[in-house]
Amino acid sequence: MSSANLTFVEEIVLLALDDETGALLPMPPLAFRYALAGAAICDLALLNRIDTDPNQLVVLSKEPTGDPLLDHALSAILSVQTPLRVSGWLNMLSEISKTLEAAALDRLVARGILRREEKKILWVFGTRRYPTVDNQERAEVRTRLADLILGDDLPDPRDAILISLLSASHLSDKIFAGKEFKARSERMATLAKMDLVGREVAGIIDVVTRTLNASLPIGM
Amino acid sequence: MDITENIQNSATVLGLTGRLDGLTSGTLERKVDALLAGGAKRIVFDCGQLLYVSSAGLRVFLSSAKKLKAAGGSAAFAALTPAVREVFELSGFTTMLEIHPDAAAATAAKA
Repeated sequence: MSSANLTFVEEIVLLALDDETGALLPMPPLAFRYALAGAAICDLALLNRIDTDPNQLVVLSKEPTGDPLLDHALSAILSVQTPLRVSGWLNMLSEISKTLEAAALDRLVARGILRREEKKILWVFGTRRYPTVDNQERAEVRTRLADLILGDDLPDPRDAILISLLSASHLSDKIFAGKEFKARSERMATLAKMDLVGREVAGIIDVVTRTLNASLPIGM
Repeated sequence: MDITENIQNSATVLGLTGRLDGLTSGTLERKVDALLAGGAKRIVFDCGQLLYVSSAGLRVFLSSAKKLKAAGGSAAFAALTPAVREVFELSGFTTMLEIHPDAAAATAAKA
């Protein structure tokens, strides 16, 4: 199955998991929530349910997409009557990010890409991991994005969105960590700018990180 | 959005008037696909009358440029209005895409 069949929410969840352990890769605080919120907005945009510009998000169609995960996000958007900037919508959708994550994980497990593993830590605390069953999806998207970063081709709009969201959540630092990628940081920054929603996600995560750092005692 | 079409220096110049957004971007995309199917190799998007471009519009511009490049051709963008230029600069499109001050310059340039 091509990764093009996955929603952005599913792709972000898949790429956010460690290949071996199935645990979430380290990210700045709340980054994953906002990345998922941004992914949901981008999925709805590509399905022509909404559109965005630097100042607003506009509903184009209230028609359900047929995808329960995305229809949940669309319903959340439709339930708010007040016009919001994209950042406002990201804040709103970040509140349902756990639901989006859970639905995406269920679907990735159902597709045989991940498996669900319950682990006990210290025999008291349970934790759930999602090790990879079939790495083809993840490998395919990583290769495609790596080729894009290391090359000079124009991105497909879908790949521009994905790179923008991965960069915003700092997942790209983990996924594309080699020296060859560090040498292409300017290219990465250019690609990351190309999607407006991804830029807004980056902005929010930056604010959250700075706010948290400012509240820490000196020396920490 | 209205789209005019004419040929200048072997390039197809598409004059865009109005708003390029989620409601109109499909029309432009189909127009570009038809031109590509007809063998067009150079398309200039004359944005001199384009008042607004949304994320959907940017995606069509990007995908058009990519499709043309893949077909051995090229896309250029001309006469960006201030509103369009602002969005292009915000999105880094000014560094990734070929931009010209007007359609004449765009059609005279060799890709």
